[in-house]
Amino acid sequence: MKKNSAVNHFKLNYSVIICSLLVIIFVTAGFSYAKIYIDIASPGIRKLPITIKSRGPSKTKKELEWIIKRDLDTTGMFEFVDPDVPGGEIVADMLVSTADGLSVILSVNDLIEGEEVLKIRLSSSKMNTRSMAHSIANHIYKVATGKKGIFRTKISYLVNSSSGRKNLRVMDWDGFNSTKIVSRGLTSGHSWSQDGQHLLYSSERKRKWKIFVRNLKQPRETVLFSSKGLNLVGGTSPDDLVSFSSSKDGSSEIYVINLRSKGLKKLTRSFGIDVSPVFSHDGKKIAFVSDRGGTPQIYTMDANGRGAARLTFEGPYNQSPSWSSNGKWITYAGRKNGKIHIFVVKSDGKDLRQLTFEGNNESPSFSPDGFLIAFESDREGARGIYIMRLNGEGKKRITPKNIKATAPRWSPYLK
Amino acid sequence: MKKVIILVLLIFAIGCTKTKYVKPTEKPAEPAEETIVEETMKPEVEEEVIEEVDIAREETVAEEELSPEEKAKSIFKDVLFDYDKYSIRPGERPKLDAVSSFLNENMGLNVIVEGHCDERGTNEYNLALGEKRAKSTKKYLVSLGVSPSRIIIVTYGEEKTLCSERSESCWQSNRRAHFVVAK
Repeated sequence: MKKNSAVNHFKLNYSVIICSLLVIIFVTAGFSYAKIYIDIASPGIRKLPITIKSRGPSKTKKELEWIIKRDLDTTGMFEFVDPDVPGGEIVADMLVSTADGLSVILSVNDLIEGEEVLKIRLSSSKMNTRSMAHSIANHIYKVATGKKGIFRTKISYLVNSSSGRKNLRVMDWDGFNSTKIVSRGLTSGHSWSQDGQHLLYSSERKRKWKIFVRNLKQPRETVLFSSKGLNLVGGTSPDDLVSFSSSKDGSSEIYVINLRSKGLKKLTRSFGIDVSPVFSHDGKKIAFVSDRGGTPQIYTMDANGRGAARLTFEGPYNQSPSWSSNGKWITYAGRKNGKIHIFVVKSDGKDLRQLTFEGNNESPSFSPDGFLIAFESDREGARGIYIMRLNGEGKKRITPKNIKATAPRWSPYLK
Repeated sequence: MKKVIILVLLIFAIGCTKTKYVKPTEKPAEPAEETIVEETMKPEVEEEVIEEVDIAREETVAEEELSPEEKAKSIFKDVLFDYDKYSIRPGERPKLDAVSSFLNENMGLNVIVEGHCDERGTNEYNLALGEKRAKSTKKYLVSLGVSPSRIIIVTYGEEKTLCSERSESCWQSNRRAHFVVAK
C-alpha cells in the first residue's frame, strides 16, 4: 500500500499519548476557578491580556509556548503580552523538565489581585510535547473562562488516496498527529460515539455500503448494519443510538439503530431522498436533509421521528447539518450565488448568518464547546479542512495543501 | 499455404493495431481514476478499435469475433442527468434503448448500473442522488423489457468523477449513469 508521506509525517500513535499523559495536581492553593476572567456567554467579548513564560530546556519550552499560544489564539479571546512588558492581567508560568519524560509545573497568577489561582504539575512518561501543550492550554482556558477547553479533542476526516480510495483518518483538532483508521474501499458518512471511544462509518466493500463500528484502541472493525442499498451513518446519541440513512426498502429513509442491542427503528417515510441525520447533543432531536419539498433542505424532528419541520427556506440547496452542543445553533452548507457556503441558524430557524464568503465550503461540524466549526473548503484550490470561530472569524487551514481532505467531524471531549 | 501465411500476417497486423489503440486508454487523463473499474475506457477510442477490426475482418475472413463484453463497451454510453435531478431526460432515451437491445440479444449477460454525481454537494446526499439515478435508469430498462434481476445498481456519488475542473461541461459529464457488463 502506498503511503502518503505528508500525512505520515505527523503520524504518532495517539492512543499511547492519551494513555501516557498523567496529570498530577499537587498543590491547589486557592484553586477553585472562582473568578471568571472572560464571560464567553456575553456579547462583545473582551480579550484577556495574558503573559506566558517558561523556564527549562530551551527547545522544549519554546515549542510548548508556541503550541499553547496557537491554541489560545484560535479562540480569539486572548491577547498575548510579552513577559518583559507590563499589562498582562494573568501570567501563566511553566517550569519545564525533561529529566524523566516530560513534566511541567504550571502556575497561573492573577496580577491584579496578586494571587496564585492555579498550581498544577503535569507529567508524561514520553516526550509528548503537543499533548502536554494542549493540556496546559486547557488549564489556562479553564482559569480564564470557567469552561472546558477543546485543545485535546480530535477530528475525523476523509482523505482521497492516490489509488482512488477514500480513507478515514483521525487527527488532533489542530491538524497534527494524523492517524489512519480505515483504508479499505470508499468510506463516506462517519461519526464519533458520544464517549469518544468509537468511530462509526459507512464503507463500500464490493459494491455494498455497510455501516461499521471501530473501537479506536483496537485495530478491528465490526459490521453494525448491512443491507441492500445505500447505508450512511449520520450521528450518535448519548444513549447509544446511531442515526443513519438507508435505502434498504427502496427510497433513502432515516433510521436509528441501538449500538448494543442492534434494535432498528424507521423514522421517516417519504418518496424523495432523506439523508445525513444528526442527533442534538441531548439526543432529543434529529436534524436531517430531505428533498421532499423539491430541493434538498434541512429539517428537524423529534428523535422518535415525529414532528418533522423544515428549518431552512433560503436558497435552493441546503445540506449537512451539525448541532452546537447546547442545541441552540445548527450549522449547515447551503448554495448561494452558485457557490456553497457555511451558514448558522438557530434551531428554531431564526437568526440566519453566513460564515464563509470565499470558494466552496461544505460539511461543517461544531467543536464540543460550540465555539469553533471545522469545515472543508476549496478556497485555496484542492479541498482541505479548515476551522473558524462561530462568528466566522479566524479561519485557518489545518490539513496540508498536498492532500485532498474532506468531511471533518469534530470529536466530543476526550479523556 | 500462401493464404494461411497472409491470414497469419493479417491477424498479426490486427494484433498490432489493437495494441496501438488500446494502449493510450491504459493511461486516462485523470491519474486519480487509474485504478477504478477497467471498463471506463473512452468510447471514442473503443470505436476506432472496432472499425479497424471490422475492416480487417472483411479482408481476411478471420474469426475475430468481438466478445459481447467488448461490443457492449462501444454500445453502452453514459446516460447524463440534470443538476440535482434523477429523471431520465428524453434525449438520453436512445442510449437506454441500445442497452436494452444489447441485453435482450445477450441473455447470458447482466449489467451493473453505476450512479454518479458532480462534486458539488455533500458526499452523503450525492451518494443518495447517485443511487436514485441508478434506480431510475434501472426502472427505464425494466420498462423496455429487461428483467430486473439482470440489473445490479450501485452508487458512487461524487467519489469517481471523470474530470475535476469546475466547469459546467465537466460537471455534466460527471452526472451520469455508467454501464458495466457483468456475467
